[in-house]
Amino acid sequence: MIVICPKCRVKLKIADEKVSPEGTRFKCPKCTTILMVKRPASKIRERQDNLVLVAHGDNSVIEKVSRILEQEGYQVITATNGIDAMVKSLREHPFLALIDVALPKIYGFEVCKRIKERKETSDVKVILITSVYDRSRYRRPPSSIYGADDYIDEPELEERLSEKIRQLLTKEEAPPEKEAPPSPPTEETREKESVQGPVGEKVVEEAEDADIKRARRLVRTILSDIALYNPKQVEEAIERGTFRETFQTQLKEGMKLYQLRIPQEVRQKGDFFNEEIERFIEEKKRNLMK
Amino acid sequence: MSFINYSTREINCKIVYYGPGLCGKTTNLQFIYKKTNPEQKGKLISLATESERTLFFDFLPLALGDIKGFKVRFHLYTVPGQVFYAASRKLILKGVDGVVFVADSQIERMDANIESLEDLRINLAEYGYELDRLPFVIQYNKRDLPNIVPVSEMQKILNPDNVPFYEAIASQGIGVFETLKDVGKQVLKELKKNY
Repeated sequence: MIVICPKCRVKLKIADEKVSPEGTRFKCPKCTTILMVKRPASKIRERQDNLVLVAHGDNSVIEKVSRILEQEGYQVITATNGIDAMVKSLREHPFLALIDVALPKIYGFEVCKRIKERKETSDVKVILITSVYDRSRYRRPPSSIYGADDYIDEPELEERLSEKIRQLLTKEEAPPEKEAPPSPPTEETREKESVQGPVGEKVVEEAEDADIKRARRLVRTILSDIALYNPKQVEEAIERGTFRETFQTQLKEGMKLYQLRIPQEVRQKGDFFNEEIERFIEEKKRNLMK
Repeated sequence: MSFINYSTREINCKIVYYGPGLCGKTTNLQFIYKKTNPEQKGKLISLATESERTLFFDFLPLALGDIKGFKVRFHLYTVPGQVFYAASRKLILKGVDGVVFVADSQIERMDANIESLEDLRINLAEYGYELDRLPFVIQYNKRDLPNIVPVSEMQKILNPDNVPFYEAIASQGIGVFETLKDVGKQVLKELKKNY
């Protein structure tokens, strides 16, 4: 780009790549004035409805994803790090960006957040590529995390990517649903929130004293560990309605720990151990029915 | 307490990787083992049963140098993370010189993180240690997963004293050595203070 020194009016030629997005300082070679050079604001390019950005640190994954997309008739641009992904999403304005969460230089979720925040790129759909292997363990929709529209597990790229893109496109074409006004929390939703950990805990637990909170948390951790180490057996037992029988030994161990760690006067305030087990079973049942 | 072997002129320090089940403690150790020079490390010994795993290996990081003519050897341990194995965890903590708490960043494991941190404090207290006085680093692991808690929130809940913390993706080695270096530095500082 050509920059004119405001003091001596000399024209300076500066290579585009030397100017960072935030601006870079240069010294005028003639009058030694320090100049702050910024890139001219780019015009907002219209979204390219057949263009997909694939950003991943591993070239073999980029190739694999590109192949799938090209077979579907999409044009593909690629980036191997977060900075490149950001620049290309701004310059090329693809309709979709597939971004690996652990991108080099800027993490993928950061890139996603920035893409969604900038008005030039806020309409770009983002699918995060993650290394998740057990979807049944997650309860939070990806749209609530860094503004992504969806996410896909890396091992499932070949199998599910096309379907995910189709779903996104269908959603975009459909008229936006009116948001229902928030309904007051029912006993059921409150219960659900309380099992979901610190984010949704507050409603129920603010009223409880710290000791009860601690007792409930210990039981939730015991149950969470059982589910984590025996995911299939837990699912089967919930379906058959035999959770307590199947995990009799673990629950007995859990009870021992509960009695050891939670003082008797707290335990006497309520049957928190069994209440949490019931909540856990109900929650799992609900998830299985989805 | 670090163990000094006068015949081999070595100081042995014990660093324990603590945290809830399946948070990535083993992955940390495996990555360190994989990336360390063969002459710097001992065997990676894994005492594993079907459901719990305890890992142990020792190595001699040459880069750390000597303290007053004594070579410093670090022993890295992990504990079984499952909440049931409190007794094993307590045993492994005996004689600890530094602790790394590996937290699982996933929303559904926050309860387990809090529980494990409390378990760590209780077990240390039973040996007469205080976590606040030990070399201590927190690692927020699994930052590549989609359902994670923001670091600011994890800090509020798990690290109110603001001890050094690192974000990590242990499966890819991100943040693993940064965590180890920090706790190692703190342990050495303590050693120099005491000897």
